[in-house]
Amino acid sequence: MSFLKALAVSALALTAAVPALAETPSNTLVIADAIDDIITLDPGEVGEVAGVLVSQQIYQPLVNFNPEDPSDIVGVLAESWTVSEDGRTLTFTMNPNAVFASGNPVTAYDAEYSLRRVVQMGSRTAFIITQFGIDTDNVEEAIRATDANTLVITAGDTYAPSFLLYCLSSYAAGIVDSKLVQEHEVDGDFGNAWLKQDNSAGSGPYVLTRWDPKQSILLTRNDNYWGEAPGVERLFIQQMPESATQRLALERGDIDIANKLGPDDFDAIENNEDIAILEGRSATIYYMGLNVRNENLAHPEVVEALKYLVDYEGIADNIGRGTLAVHQTLVPDGFLGALDYTPYSLDVERARQLLDEAGVGPFTLDTVVWNVPPYTDFAQAIQATMAEAGVTLNLEVVDGGQWLDRYRNHTLDVWMGLWGPDYPDPHSNAKAFSVNRQDAPDGSDSLADRFGWDAGPLSPLAMEAVREQDTDTRRQMYEDIQRVHTDTSPFLYMFQEVRRVATRADVQGLVLGLTFSDDRYGGVTKD
Amino acid sequence: MTSLRQRLGGVATFVSSTAVTLLGLAMLTFFIGRVVPIDPVLKIVGDKASQEVYDRVFLELGLDKPLVVQFWNYVTSLLRGDFGISFSTARPVWTDLLDFFPATLELATIGVLIGIVLGVPMGVAAAYWREKWPDHVLRVVGLVGYSVPIFWLGLVALFVFYYKLNWVSGPGRVDVFFQGVVPNVTGAILIDSLLAGDMQVFRNAVSHMTLPALLLGYYSLAYISRMTRSVMLEQLGQEYILTARLKGASEFSVVMNHALRNAGIQLITVIALSYGGLLEGSVLIETIFSWPGIGNYIFSSLLAGDMNAVLGGTILVGTVFVLLNTFSDVLYRVLDPRSRGFGA
Repeated sequence: MSFLKALAVSALALTAAVPALAETPSNTLVIADAIDDIITLDPGEVGEVAGVLVSQQIYQPLVNFNPEDPSDIVGVLAESWTVSEDGRTLTFTMNPNAVFASGNPVTAYDAEYSLRRVVQMGSRTAFIITQFGIDTDNVEEAIRATDANTLVITAGDTYAPSFLLYCLSSYAAGIVDSKLVQEHEVDGDFGNAWLKQDNSAGSGPYVLTRWDPKQSILLTRNDNYWGEAPGVERLFIQQMPESATQRLALERGDIDIANKLGPDDFDAIENNEDIAILEGRSATIYYMGLNVRNENLAHPEVVEALKYLVDYEGIADNIGRGTLAVHQTLVPDGFLGALDYTPYSLDVERARQLLDEAGVGPFTLDTVVWNVPPYTDFAQAIQATMAEAGVTLNLEVVDGGQWLDRYRNHTLDVWMGLWGPDYPDPHSNAKAFSVNRQDAPDGSDSLADRFGWDAGPLSPLAMEAVREQDTDTRRQMYEDIQRVHTDTSPFLYMFQEVRRVATRADVQGLVLGLTFSDDRYGGVTKD
Repeated sequence: MTSLRQRLGGVATFVSSTAVTLLGLAMLTFFIGRVVPIDPVLKIVGDKASQEVYDRVFLELGLDKPLVVQFWNYVTSLLRGDFGISFSTARPVWTDLLDFFPATLELATIGVLIGIVLGVPMGVAAAYWREKWPDHVLRVVGLVGYSVPIFWLGLVALFVFYYKLNWVSGPGRVDVFFQGVVPNVTGAILIDSLLAGDMQVFRNAVSHMTLPALLLGYYSLAYISRMTRSVMLEQLGQEYILTARLKGASEFSVVMNHALRNAGIQLITVIALSYGGLLEGSVLIETIFSWPGIGNYIFSSLLAGDMNAVLGGTILVGTVFVLLNTFSDVLYRVLDPRSRGFGA
């Protein structure tokens, strides 16, 4: 009997198969991405790449920058702002037209609540605000609405106004509907449980309709949106982690946007007329950190020699294949103070000379490598070129979790990693790579500390730059810092990522962001 | 009376052995989970958060307590039916399991049915024509199914049948168009769409399921057919087969009525194990076909260091194995009079 049933079911499975629709619904934009790492969509704590992407479509900041020209900062929920003479206080006038999806007007009280909330929740992204000397003790003084239209933010010290503005454009500073969120507060959780997964309370073009963790996210057009109405009614983000699968689904037309394609699959679709490839700048930088606590790496000549033992062009061409650009300074291209400075290329002779000068014989360095491309490919290429000068690179291939763990414990000789700034201001990188603990206002460890490096005069200089009020002087300061940093630091900058996103040809109006996952879907249309 | 007491005793033995098995499983998973070098705190707070944030989350997760205390807390809440919260989905683990397991159950059930329907006849044929050409052909088919990496087969199948020929639908359980159209009753989309009477969704779901189910089916048929062959060979060499032939039974009757009936009893275990294996979820198939199943759930939770989710998933899979085992034992007793013993 069970055999018969089985036969019937499998026959059904074979014969009932109908051809796929091979077209996405015209009012829905289907985006394939890896979303299984998202643990929250609360803008006060969101952090994973795809999570930020989603929250950026739902929540809006006070100000934002033009992705084409990041030095152009424009008001979003704030209409205008003024800076006090001492540079410590910024006064924002709210945009009177802005309303939340609930229909509530966006007021300065909402902004006050949202920004205080990030600090008071002590979330993982709170550092973006607390680095201005704002903490739970002084937050009610530092961030306050004087009336419904005016928000005043007073930093603990003088900072470049552009720095504060860039930080306020970050995903951590999305403004929530305070009336709605406060209604759902439980045990002083600032509505976190309510906002985390099932609900949204923003003013952006889309609202959260449904999140099935590790499966899909559905956003629906915000009918009360105060800006230009979005071109498609729904954004459907589908968990599709495999690059080859994304490619096939995109070519068949079952998805509109493929966010996680690898270089091989880009090659394969290059000549497909139904598909468009968008290129954008990504501020992500790939680098190697050299731990100068290692007796060999303590010699500056050895550090410099290693910088000559990477085949930058070769890796970018053969491994990156359009997704990497050679970049050898700490500020990403596109940011204030970015510099075209690439003094290093593969030169084994020069490296040998430097190693001789340092008087070190052949030696071995340990590194851990994240077990995904492009890291594994980088690692093998670099291992080969370093070996030519007698430097043995020991590779230990590990999972992403271990990889981060080992880096935090800074017990490695070499760490191969990436850095994505959290806001498009040069300070995000300058602080990480060149400010030592004693100069950091919050006393936190930077990457420089992790790799045992004393940045010397660069460290106070970087803090001076972030306080500089004049933008041109500030730009000059970062340019100076970078030259010295590239020449002397134990950070071996290699590449800046080139963002590539493949879409169906009928998808128009997608704007790629500058920092990770800041892509803007509000203006996307499909015909 | 005696019989009732015996039965009660049997049930008690079953319950206690199941409990011990599951406790051992939980313990093993728990301690392995704690010694693997994955820091769940780092997964939650990211690499840029301050030390204070890190320390707070460390305490919130209860990681400061001794391992034994952590395990005790876990087991006691488990006994109250509380599987804990998964931090990577922010939902109770139980809710997650109810969400992800039906997708695997549905796929695995169809997969194993394909494996039985095709694998058993293949095994019988291979045994009957031992060392003749059907046996050689079936051996190659079986070996390919068993040894070619399933992710490769999956990608090739997608490329040919979905991309080139467009016979079936691609990744996912249904088209975006049909997402959430039928109410979620059982979690199995085929059943839910039939319950809702929506044939469009049903056909679409079948079209999506065809490739992954056939691949899993192929994988299990490879195993089932090889095992059927060896069990059948053993039976065909027995004296009762010779007796049956001497009595003038037809070849068909000898193979199907005599040998296969006896081999079937042993095949129950093979099939149950094969089914259990599929119910663990195939991470590779689920990844390639974007299938929201239990394999992927456990795997991605493990990478995130989300041990509540991993433990919950493991205990579920363990329970399924125990149940399948019990079921095949019972079936064994029903089909094989010898195993009933006397006085049963």
